[in-house]
Amino acid sequence: MTHNNSNPYKALQSTILHISHAQCQKGGEPLFAPVDLQLKPGEMAVVAGQNGSGKTTLLEAVAGLGTFCQGGIEFNGEHILDDWLQQSHYVGHYLGNKASLTCLENLNFATTMNGVRSDETRISAALDQVGLAGYEYHHASDLSAGQKKRLALSRLLILNKTYWLLDEPFVNLDVAGCDWLYESISEHIQNGGAALLTAHDNKRIHQKANHLIQLVRP
Amino acid sequence: MKFWILLQRDVLVAWRKKSNIYQPLVFQLLIVTMFPLGLGAGAQTLQKIAPAVVWILALISTLITLENIFKDDYEDGSLALYALSGLPLPMAVLAKATAHWLTTGLPVILFAPVIGVLLHLPGDAYGVLMLSLLIATPIFSLLGTVGSALIMNLKNGGMLLSVLIMPLLAPVLIFGAGAVLETTLGNTPAGHLSLLAGCLVLSLTLAPLAAAAAIKVNLE
Amino acid sequence: MNKIVKFYHEMGSPPSFYRITGYWLKPLLILALGLTIYGLIDGLFYAPPDYQQGDSYRIMFVHVPAAWMSMFIYAVIGICGIIAFVWRMKVAEAVMMASAPIGALFTALTLLTGMLWGKPMWGTYWDWDARMTSELILLFLYIGVMGIYSAYDDDPRKAARLAALVAIIGLINLPIIRYSVEWWTSIHQGASISIMGGNSGIKEWSMLRPLLVMALATKFYYLYSMLHRARNYLLRTEQKKSWVTKQLIES
Repeated sequence: MTHNNSNPYKALQSTILHISHAQCQKGGEPLFAPVDLQLKPGEMAVVAGQNGSGKTTLLEAVAGLGTFCQGGIEFNGEHILDDWLQQSHYVGHYLGNKASLTCLENLNFATTMNGVRSDETRISAALDQVGLAGYEYHHASDLSAGQKKRLALSRLLILNKTYWLLDEPFVNLDVAGCDWLYESISEHIQNGGAALLTAHDNKRIHQKANHLIQLVRP
Repeated sequence: MKFWILLQRDVLVAWRKKSNIYQPLVFQLLIVTMFPLGLGAGAQTLQKIAPAVVWILALISTLITLENIFKDDYEDGSLALYALSGLPLPMAVLAKATAHWLTTGLPVILFAPVIGVLLHLPGDAYGVLMLSLLIATPIFSLLGTVGSALIMNLKNGGMLLSVLIMPLLAPVLIFGAGAVLETTLGNTPAGHLSLLAGCLVLSLTLAPLAAAAAIKVNLE
Repeated sequence: MNKIVKFYHEMGSPPSFYRITGYWLKPLLILALGLTIYGLIDGLFYAPPDYQQGDSYRIMFVHVPAAWMSMFIYAVIGICGIIAFVWRMKVAEAVMMASAPIGALFTALTLLTGMLWGKPMWGTYWDWDARMTSELILLFLYIGVMGIYSAYDDDPRKAARLAALVAIIGLINLPIIRYSVEWWTSIHQGASISIMGGNSGIKEWSMLRPLLVMALATKFYYLYSMLHRARNYLLRTEQKKSWVTKQLIES
């Protein structure tokens, strides 16, 4: 094995996510025709398809939450999931906020759980960026649906992961929120990040995408 | 490290919603009131059933708290946060079980003497009662994680969870309530307690694996 | 040897499992019915009365084979559960889920006949003796396996995998439960009346014969009923596959 965690050049190595011939199943039946994708830093891919075509299932499987019934993902040419988990973050329909914890505590948990040192000023800055300045000590249950979404998305800003996996991130956001998110994703891509997302109602992001995955029935 | 972070968070979440902590105790108090009302308040009658009742109440009051161990995390999405954090899933299960024990099992142990007094449990049995619960309540939490993981994306899984878990807890009840009973009869509870400890070791090794497997299947 | 391997692989694929077992159903049913009729007549009319229990012991010819089956079928479920969970073998899922209701039925039958037998024997329908108690808990284990499966009725594959997990957990716990329950009764009330052992043990061939015949009959009935259910299970869960359509057109 040449794989070595202490390799100082590792950070400079370009990473690549390779989804090859991947299929997910529900009830023993494949949901969509096999999907192929190569995603590199600096690129964005959008998953499109009708309701029930398996967009969420695909994203969850790529994130490592679900499984593929065929094919699968390789990260840097390896099947080792740990590296992939290290460099990706998933924000799905279930946002991941604990209702009884404050915004600060929620983000604290997310960062430390991801092995990132928690830093209150950085968390406050991130909250400020998503428009939740001053909400540090508000319980997540007190937020509106859009604010909850913003809280979840603010994790992306703190965690510093290369690959963002976003399932319908624009849903529940107001116009200003959508603009902000669009800009953030663009900026992330420009700075050498990558994103794989679904967004059924956002034309702009579709136009910007480097890859489009159209999910069709098998 | 991540184990402790998850453990801390769960204790904090339970602390925020204190009803989770005291509800099982209130439940015990309510049910124990029913016994003298139904059986008659004769001290001798109550004394006879006390070891069993204290134990069964501890078991049932824990049972009603099990459903949400993973269900809440699944529904708000925070399960994904720790399932994808690189922390091995069985370790996450162990952290969840530990937190559940701290917030449910420990109060139940501390409360057991109160129930004992109400049922005229003989004075020399309290030590063994608490010791047996100390060994057994972690088993409740551990098997609870398995049950909770199995039903985590069901709407009304509480009844099913009881059906799944109760048969597995039968030996625990036999050894645990048996230990207290033996003490009240003047015998040594050592045999019962060591078998109870055996159950704890077994569930400590197998339950996290089983619960992790159930979570994986449920996420598929 | 090759034939065995080939047979094993054929039984692992739903279409050939369906095809092969189709030939077995009728013979199994005939064997089950024939042996049951013979066993019952032999047991009820030709076997001599017990010198202690008189005629009431004859319920044993149903009770004991049913009790054997209740445990045997749970073992089958547990083993199929392991195969289904580890190797994701669909036929194992089918056999497991097809066996569960039959096993539960035999368990319920054991309990019911045990109660009917208990009335003349012990003067009570129910006695918390080790056998009856662990049989009752076994019934709960069966209900658990079926319950988790039906709770996830929208996704049969996931349901079967979770049911397999429950079955495996039950299989590990069954010895502990049985041991603890036996221990419990030995402490609380002393050994209760032993059905098979002691003075009322079976010594005569004419008593043993119907018992063995009935044991065989229940085995064949189980095989028939299980295969029947397993075949239907495969048809239902594989309904979108081409072999099912072909089967349905043919029949």
